[in-house]
Amino acid sequence: MSYKDGTKSTLGPYVDPTPLPASVPQVAELGVTSAPLKSAAFFIGAHCKEYNEDFMLCKNENRDPAHCLLEGRRVTRCAADLINKMRENCVKEFNEHWGCLELNNQEYYRCRKPERTLNKCMFDKLGLKKVIPGTPEGQTQIHEVENPIHKRMQK
Amino acid sequence: MPTAYRQDMPPEGGFEMIKYKRNLPFRGPGGLAILGGVLAVCTYGMYRVALGNLERRELRREKTWARLHLVPLLLAESDRDTYRRQQAALARETEIMKNVEGWEPGKSVYNNPKHRPQEFVVI
Repeated sequence: MSYKDGTKSTLGPYVDPTPLPASVPQVAELGVTSAPLKSAAFFIGAHCKEYNEDFMLCKNENRDPAHCLLEGRRVTRCAADLINKMRENCVKEFNEHWGCLELNNQEYYRCRKPERTLNKCMFDKLGLKKVIPGTPEGQTQIHEVENPIHKRMQK
Repeated sequence: MPTAYRQDMPPEGGFEMIKYKRNLPFRGPGGLAILGGVLAVCTYGMYRVALGNLERRELRREKTWARLHLVPLLLAESDRDTYRRQQAALARETEIMKNVEGWEPGKSVYNNPKHRPQEFVVI
């Protein structure tokens, strides 16, 4: 992938280690694996809403990867900023939640307990709230339901 | 001389009645009660199934939105990588084809200005 230099790869002679042109500002890639990303997804959505929407609107204008590099860097910087903030403020809860996701096929509904502590910590420390868009009017959001039917143990 | 025999006669008070009537003692609730019970259990079960289906719909939306929130991030990263490879390929092509007259490096074979991904990517 992009953040590996490619020279140490075992893929053979067809690896392209050429770096980005110097005219493009460098940005550190996030380098976060899937479970922490999934754990942080709704907070990324809340924290980086403007940058994400800006980027997607730009992509809607033109699918050329060269067209939206600036917006893409902003998106990545914002996500990195959020992950750093999470690690500074709620590292214990964060680690617990994504560890749980890792062990449970990355299903949210099996990890509600660590998720609630994480959500609470994120709201108290950073003021970010998990909101699932499109939940029917007047209905409790699925991650806040106290006694759901689908849980770790099917009853 | 009287013969020494005894006439075989019914017992005192006559024979008891022949047991021809059904004798089925009551065991458990009746058929209607069982049917009603089964229906009640099934109705409750189907009600729970319906609730569970509604809940699964919400769970699916939660998962979808988690992925949607990550799309810009992942797309931005892969865009940078694609751009880097495109630029490298362009430089390679320019270097290789520098002696060919009239060759425009990176020129598309299509006249459509719309972006299309490259057919060949050096990994």
